[in-house]
Amino acid sequence: MQKQLQEQIDRLKKAGATYVDARWYPVEESNYLMMWNGNLKSATSSRESGVGIRALYKGAWGFSASSDVSNVGALFDKAFDNARVAAERVTFPVRLAEKESVRASFISPNRIDPFAVELADKIAFLKKLDEKMDQPGIAQRVGELIFMRKQIIYIDSEGSEIEKNIIEVFPSIQVMGVDAKGETHSRKFSPSRMGDTRGWETVNLQMFTENAERIVREMNEVVAAEECPKEDLSVILLPGIMYLQTHETIGHALELDRILGYELGFAGGSFVTLNDFGSLRYGSPKLTARADATLPNSPGSFGYDDDGVAAQDNLLIDKGILVGAITGRQMVEEANARARKQIFNGSGGANRATAFYRVPIERMTNINIDPGNDGSLDDIVKNTEKGIILDGDKSWSIGSNREQFHFATDIGWLVDDGKVTRVVKNSTYKGETVKFYNSLSAVGDKSTWEVRYVDNCGKGQPNQIMQLGHGIPVCRFDNVRIGE
Amino acid sequence: MKDKILQTLRDLRAYALSKNVEAEFFYHEEDSYLMRFANSSISLNTNEHLIRLDITAYDGRKRASYSLITDLQKLEEMKQGVDIAAEMVKHAMPLSYQPTVPTFAESFADESGFDSTLATISNEERLAYFNEAVKGLETNDIKLSGIFSCGVNVVAQINTHSEHTQYFKTSDAQISIVLSHSTLKWEVIAEQSAQKKADLNPSVLHGDLSFLLDRYQHDAPQQIPLGKYNIVFGPAASGDLLSMMNWIGFSGGSMKRGFSFISEEQVGTKVFSDKFNLTDDATNLDTFPFQRDLTGMKRTKFPVFENGVFKSFTWDQDDADEFEAKPTGHTVMHKSLVLSGGDKNVSTLEELVNMPRENDILYIPFLHYMNIVNPSKGLVTASSRFGALLLKKDGSVVVPYNVRVTQSLLDIFGDKVAWMSKSQTINNTSQSYGARNPTAVIVPTFIKVDDLEISHSNSSY
Repeated sequence: MQKQLQEQIDRLKKAGATYVDARWYPVEESNYLMMWNGNLKSATSSRESGVGIRALYKGAWGFSASSDVSNVGALFDKAFDNARVAAERVTFPVRLAEKESVRASFISPNRIDPFAVELADKIAFLKKLDEKMDQPGIAQRVGELIFMRKQIIYIDSEGSEIEKNIIEVFPSIQVMGVDAKGETHSRKFSPSRMGDTRGWETVNLQMFTENAERIVREMNEVVAAEECPKEDLSVILLPGIMYLQTHETIGHALELDRILGYELGFAGGSFVTLNDFGSLRYGSPKLTARADATLPNSPGSFGYDDDGVAAQDNLLIDKGILVGAITGRQMVEEANARARKQIFNGSGGANRATAFYRVPIERMTNINIDPGNDGSLDDIVKNTEKGIILDGDKSWSIGSNREQFHFATDIGWLVDDGKVTRVVKNSTYKGETVKFYNSLSAVGDKSTWEVRYVDNCGKGQPNQIMQLGHGIPVCRFDNVRIGE
Repeated sequence: MKDKILQTLRDLRAYALSKNVEAEFFYHEEDSYLMRFANSSISLNTNEHLIRLDITAYDGRKRASYSLITDLQKLEEMKQGVDIAAEMVKHAMPLSYQPTVPTFAESFADESGFDSTLATISNEERLAYFNEAVKGLETNDIKLSGIFSCGVNVVAQINTHSEHTQYFKTSDAQISIVLSHSTLKWEVIAEQSAQKKADLNPSVLHGDLSFLLDRYQHDAPQQIPLGKYNIVFGPAASGDLLSMMNWIGFSGGSMKRGFSFISEEQVGTKVFSDKFNLTDDATNLDTFPFQRDLTGMKRTKFPVFENGVFKSFTWDQDDADEFEAKPTGHTVMHKSLVLSGGDKNVSTLEELVNMPRENDILYIPFLHYMNIVNPSKGLVTASSRFGALLLKKDGSVVVPYNVRVTQSLLDIFGDKVAWMSKSQTINNTSQSYGARNPTAVIVPTFIKVDDLEISHSNSSY
């Protein structure tokens, strides 16, 4: 197959294409199990294979994909024809930043292949957790196991050939309870990064059992709690919500295609402009954020992106100042040209596609916030006069340029004079992105830092779902409106 | 091709029967084309031809599924899928209820939603449509974005309970055109949904965009004060709100699981404004309907709300099985929601702007990134986007920065509804996650709701 693909790439180059690549997925598999109130509602497996072809002609992209690889030549022709038509409307011809040609491979770290585990064992795991969550006060119990495996072979017209073998495991549990007013509340758990691998070995019954007991206990506290007050105070975001805050208002805001207007027809833009790099005070000096695709053992670390560029660790925000973005080969060239200066020194290696039938676009890698010097969670609470600790991603809604946001969380604990006082329900907070990050007043140390996995980041048209990570400490922000 | 698809399904059924496997087969084929524009260029021109086969095996109360992306030449691969599903179901856990495997009483085929001229529209025609819709509107600062998404969708079914098949074939197009200012960052939008080629009319979009551009180019945007406003929602905003209600309102399964703001006791009672009449209308081709559901139930018009009175939850087969309810023909990839028009004679934005008014009106055409804050209260939040206007009572028009609305659907569609326009608009709500599933809701072009609170007002874009 590789030989066929290489021959077709060479053929299109001779026909006038300036660049061609092919991503062949010999196999992509997934396995999804979901148990709801003891019922195994979903026990599904899937398998797919196919090829996606990307061709660049006169500064315009064409793409074509199919699961039918019996006539690969026709698929290349279609991609080229799509590029030929696209070339009739070009305002900024696509140029690709330089890169090294490589022959390489990447394997995600796993000890026990989840696809080698018997279905009965997976179901037994969910059943045990379901029994553990079946407690007084719990109205709904949900356990989910998601397993993914992909083999990707990438070949381009610049001499690169890369094979990636990636396995992902996303287990989670959730409980729901109903309060005296008949309102439903939820609490959930999904594990952060554990150790050096993320195969079936991370589906750890003891850890899940302990956390099942915890979320059941917290659920019952929420159901019995008073409403979250409506006022301005300090919010202490645990990693279970800080990861999403980072994802939505640093990650998406700093995707260079959004900044350049390539998502304005759908997902939106960014309040960030090219003039802001090196000068915008995005947050307080306590904020240092990075896009680190070299972080060990995370879905946001993939060896090489779908431009064939090696994984990198790039600063995004340095002590509060905006310095970088999430980038691929095309966008950095256009950004530098539009800004008439060198903002970006080559691709940041963040161009990824979710499947063989989707085109690569700028995607988050691991968008991390560096741990700070403000101690443990206990230390931060002790140093908070009036605040609320928030955890759990219940709801999120962000302005189209990521300039403002509204989040609801599963649980809140009020803090008064350095002490946790009581749980509240229906906790929410909102803010304006730059003002919010400039109110960052405490960043937890390494003891508070966790790598959270994300299995469902959506972006693009056609829409793509991507997996990634966030290394996140506990953070405190001041003068934030809650309870609306 | 239809014959080959159905024969393949019959072959798979025969194979399953030969192995004593009780199974359902769901075939989905899409031929999708997407021309995407950004920065006034074609940023992506793509097509995918994909065939998906879902095989669900049953063993008493046990159920397991296997899905594959395949093609019709790979019958052996599909048969292996049957074997895998059969093996999986052996190890599955029994459900607490008996899942229904439907028995199709007759074969059914519906190609009434398929238009061969839309199905074969060319790259050049898609580009020409866009060029006409924005002719003369782009400048060095005002850039074009958007999509021309179109395709053909085939769904076919068989199961081991009978030899009958179901077959659905549709064509669809979704056009979204955005003009935005590259430095000032405002955006305006015009959209069109098409089920047949004759529905495509770029001049309508050109008119809508021209009208909005005239405002946005010449008026400085303002941060409007927080507080209560009389809001007119445009079709995209109303369509999004209805889609949310479909999830956390009248779905029987969601209600039973605690994700609804409507309770069983409210069936037959007034929930919304008496102006609110919502029907799941599978006779309306503009909604890309399923005229039979996936269990073979005939679908016509299903009233959900009449004059604000809640008539019925909708039940798909699996939820009906689990909660011992009667299925209502809603085992479908999407419903065909139609919100009836009202009595207000206003059908275009220009007419709305020129209408006499006693108070200020905030026009919100589009709600961005809607999410559910509290499903039990029907509380949702979203920001305005794409061409909002503040229509002052003195007749002047202000361009506002985006605002956030955090409100209950009970308030939005309750007694605060002042009027709904007589004219209706097809709002294409298709998402392109996973398999192609053309979806549209039909809503009054404008819905005016009084006294809704704006909880945040931007000071810039």
